[in-house]
Amino acid sequence: MDLSQYLEIFIDETKEHLQTLNDQVLILEAEPDNIDTVNEIFRAAHSLKGMAGTMGFKRMQRLTHDMENVFSEIRNGKMSVTPDLVDVVFKCLDAIEEYLSCIVESSDEGENDNEDIIGMLNACLESGGGSAPEQPAAAPAQEQKPAAGEDDKRKFLHISIADFEKNAINEAKAKNLNVYGATVYVDEKCVLKAARAFLVFKGVEAIGEIIKSVPSVQDIEEEKFDLDFSMLIISEKSIEDVRKAITNVSEIRDVALENYDIPKDVEVVSSVQIKETKEEKKEESKKKNAAAKTGGKPVANRSVRVDIEKLDDLMNLVSELIIAKNGLVSVSNQEDNRTSMQSFNEQIEYLERITTNLHESVMKVRMVPIESVVNRFPRMIRDLSKKLGKEMELIMTGEDTELDRTVIDEIGDPLMHMLRNSADHGLESTIDRLKLGKPQVGTIKLNAYQDGNNVTIEVEDDGAGIDVEKVKASAVKKGHITEEQAENMPEKEAIDLLFRPAFSTAEKISDVSGRGVGLDVVKNKIEGLGGDVEVSTKLGEGTKFTVRLPLTLAIIQALMVEVRNEKYAIALNSIVTIEDVLVSDIKYVKQKEVINLRGTVIPLVRLDEVLDCAPAEEEPENLVIVIVKKGDKQAGLVIDNLLGQQEIVIKPLGKYINIHKMISGATILGDGEVALIIDTNSLV
Amino acid sequence: MEENNTVVNGAKQYIVVKLDNEQYGVDISYIDNIVRMQQITRVPKAQSYFPGVINLRGEIIPVMNLRLKFDLAYKEYTNTTRILIVKPESGAKIGILVDEVREVVTLEEECIEKAVYDEQGANLIGVGKYKDTLISILNIHGVIAELESNAW
Repeated sequence: MDLSQYLEIFIDETKEHLQTLNDQVLILEAEPDNIDTVNEIFRAAHSLKGMAGTMGFKRMQRLTHDMENVFSEIRNGKMSVTPDLVDVVFKCLDAIEEYLSCIVESSDEGENDNEDIIGMLNACLESGGGSAPEQPAAAPAQEQKPAAGEDDKRKFLHISIADFEKNAINEAKAKNLNVYGATVYVDEKCVLKAARAFLVFKGVEAIGEIIKSVPSVQDIEEEKFDLDFSMLIISEKSIEDVRKAITNVSEIRDVALENYDIPKDVEVVSSVQIKETKEEKKEESKKKNAAAKTGGKPVANRSVRVDIEKLDDLMNLVSELIIAKNGLVSVSNQEDNRTSMQSFNEQIEYLERITTNLHESVMKVRMVPIESVVNRFPRMIRDLSKKLGKEMELIMTGEDTELDRTVIDEIGDPLMHMLRNSADHGLESTIDRLKLGKPQVGTIKLNAYQDGNNVTIEVEDDGAGIDVEKVKASAVKKGHITEEQAENMPEKEAIDLLFRPAFSTAEKISDVSGRGVGLDVVKNKIEGLGGDVEVSTKLGEGTKFTVRLPLTLAIIQALMVEVRNEKYAIALNSIVTIEDVLVSDIKYVKQKEVINLRGTVIPLVRLDEVLDCAPAEEEPENLVIVIVKKGDKQAGLVIDNLLGQQEIVIKPLGKYINIHKMISGATILGDGEVALIIDTNSLV
Repeated sequence: MEENNTVVNGAKQYIVVKLDNEQYGVDISYIDNIVRMQQITRVPKAQSYFPGVINLRGEIIPVMNLRLKFDLAYKEYTNTTRILIVKPESGAKIGILVDEVREVVTLEEECIEKAVYDEQGANLIGVGKYKDTLISILNIHGVIAELESNAW
């Protein structure tokens, strides 16, 4: 058995408990007398402690233990919740999170003892009265026991030995192997004695063989022992190695270990008898296992964890099906026999139904509520509020909006950044707000909702808004634009300057934001996910960031077009209209081709040139132009032919080949041909 | 350097391919598949020696033309043109377009003379002697590593 197989579960569950703790402590801060919350916190802290202990993470266990103590006192009404205490608890949660990230990276909790936090927790305990006398009382009790007589500790001397065990010992001695007797004492505070014992067994078995243990292994596994257990070990290793193997396990208070000789007065139990009892016990434990299995299920059902790799495989199957469907479509187009035509059509309908269903159900599995990302934000805003000395509150709506798993994984950081941005730059200080006659507490709203095939997330604050002139001035100072440009720049474009790399209007660089690695990263990330971000602002009233993300990344509706003889796909959601334009209607602005479409001037992009196609033999009189948009901007893509709308499966182009950013992927058409997908965002 | 010997005692199997008159050997443990020439979709702005991508049973795989990679003149595809599907690392495949695939040979370690580092040094591990012919043993990782450094 190997503990690492539990590590993943441990990490997941610890994350869950930490989230609960964060949520509940936030509630507790607002309502210090809420006893339900205290109970909830106590339970979560207790589970955390137990899990950390089982996995052998001593430092983490110690910290959670002390935290649990504090809440135990609160629960018993011996202490009250103070703002200071809440701060310490939050620090404690952060420290646990640190341990956890250490564990995630290296399967080890790291070296940080967090003595200061433990000290603070204990200080809270003492000042709160109650448990302070309890701890010293426990300590002497601990020390007394080891002082008891040496002989008492060597309980292994009283192990009764069966014939075959005696033989084994004699044989081992004949082979010059060492035979040790050991009695292991588990710390009395230990929560999971069986797990400790298991670790001891595991450690010893790595370097030798355990021929007998008292109580039996089964009993120990079922925790049917007091604080000690004894065993006989055969090993070629030295006594010190064995001792090390045992004492390496945490919460082992003491071990009595020495060379073992078969005592003469020990009664020799006949082996038959032992076998009988062994078999009985085996059956017993089997029953218990079965009972545990059926009983344990509902707990695990609380959250569904699906291996993303399996999901991807499923996705591949779905894509294959869709390809097959497309294949059928193309075959049926060539067929003229009427009866086979009909069966073909039936087939297609059937296939279509399957693919749609399959698609839907797979998508549902892949969808994760955005809650899993945003639920850490209340805590973050609370900390920011303290750090920046501004009063603010976060109102979140639409947390149950679902997004594709891949998008969810990526969206956390950009959202966090925008919130920090709103808290730091957006909201004014409390004093300024009062002066302006605004409510003292600043409000940041995070709102998510589904909008067709997109999910929109808005981050809105009721702060000062963006001072466009200040942005322009800063941009000129940093050399992003000239003064002349600044004067003529429309407000919208000026605000877009914020998304330039290394651009921050904050005069002071604070811990929170303003290092200039800000909004450009946000924008890149969101665009990388196939979405876009927009800002609207009103000076003095607030700023709103609007992020639009595609529901899913894997299957999209696309318009198939032809450029020369090559087929390309353009995502339907970026297309505004398709226009037929006379060549003579093309105008030139700054030597660039544009068209005037119902009053809007739209620049043209010749796809054949951009895509390095062979030049056209002759210019046609009419051009087919696909008008695409990116935010407010539009562009007209000149193509040769329209092929129609199709549902396509996005596939990566594979490694090793250099891919220009205007190609966002590829898809496989009905006839097996590969068509590239054009990312219109990079062309507008 | 490779642990995945297909044959014990230091001998490995190689697939022998031809470009013009020169023979190249590719360690068989990297080969995923060999397919006939099929329609290649051009990828704009890719490296010049990448004619494009192909669809291999629903998977899109980039294909490079070994002739162009080795600065040999472009040659029309023929009936013997094949695409070696090579898997240099797990989860990534690349197609290598060659004039002809000939046979599989087993070469002992001693039969391969390690390459001295000339301009093709990174592309070749060495030259193997098989019967009375010479086979240049391709260093698949070298061929690909160079692609990455060429990225722009």
